[in-house]
Amino acid sequence: MRRFETISPKLAEYGVEVVALSKDTPQDAALQRTRDKLTFQLLSDPKLEVIKDYGVEHHKAVEFSTGRFTVMGLPLALVPSFKSMAIPTTLLIDEHGAIQWIDQSEDYRIRSAEDRVLSEVQRVFDRV
Amino acid sequence: MPVPAVALAGAGFATVVTSWVTYMATVPSGKVPLRPYRHFAVQAVGAGLAITGIATGATAGGALLPTLVAAPALTLAGLFGWLYSQRATPVGRLQVAIGDAVRPFTALTPEGDTFDVASLRGRRVLLKFFRGHW
Repeated sequence: MRRFETISPKLAEYGVEVVALSKDTPQDAALQRTRDKLTFQLLSDPKLEVIKDYGVEHHKAVEFSTGRFTVMGLPLALVPSFKSMAIPTTLLIDEHGAIQWIDQSEDYRIRSAEDRVLSEVQRVFDRV
Repeated sequence: MPVPAVALAGAGFATVVTSWVTYMATVPSGKVPLRPYRHFAVQAVGAGLAITGIATGATAGGALLPTLVAAPALTLAGLFGWLYSQRATPVGRLQVAIGDAVRPFTALTPEGDTFDVASLRGRRVLLKFFRGHW
């Protein structure tokens, strides 16, 4: 998510705000915001209601977790387990609430690349 | 104690752990290598050292201690390969398409307040579904 922080000034040139949603609890989201120094809106969907409604649920995805070692209160990822979570998906939404672009990652380790996101933003929107 | 055998197994363990740590360090910044061949090579060297340690112990001094050291190294190296094999995401059953209106939803802010997506009307938004904090 830190990478979205780095491109957010460029997104701002096009009047685009970043809103990021995951299954994390508000507490985890607050910790991540502090740890990764995020300024955009993080949202929590701990019951996966929105994730399921959008059809981007990844059943039994591999997640790393352990309670033992922590970095600024977040568990250091060490022990893999299976959990439902969102499939990494990026939606570009215009000012009328219409979806202009959808991007899904085929490899969960690789998120939407910045240059791909930026070129789509430039394609869809005018500079403000 | 089979010192050379344990040392070999220990070197294997250290090699595998070093590879893991350098790989995991790329995760928060999103710089995960698409094809982590270098990590695979280092993991293989670590696993090889661990197995050599067991074999050396078996011929001189006993295999038990080197095996105890080598087992976690082999487990971690295997785990690395297995996780790589799990990298594909399912396609999902995406309920939205380009041109659709955003589906109304509410979610929680880090402060615990309710956030309504309707409040984004009139603004351009990059809505990102992500896996979670790690």
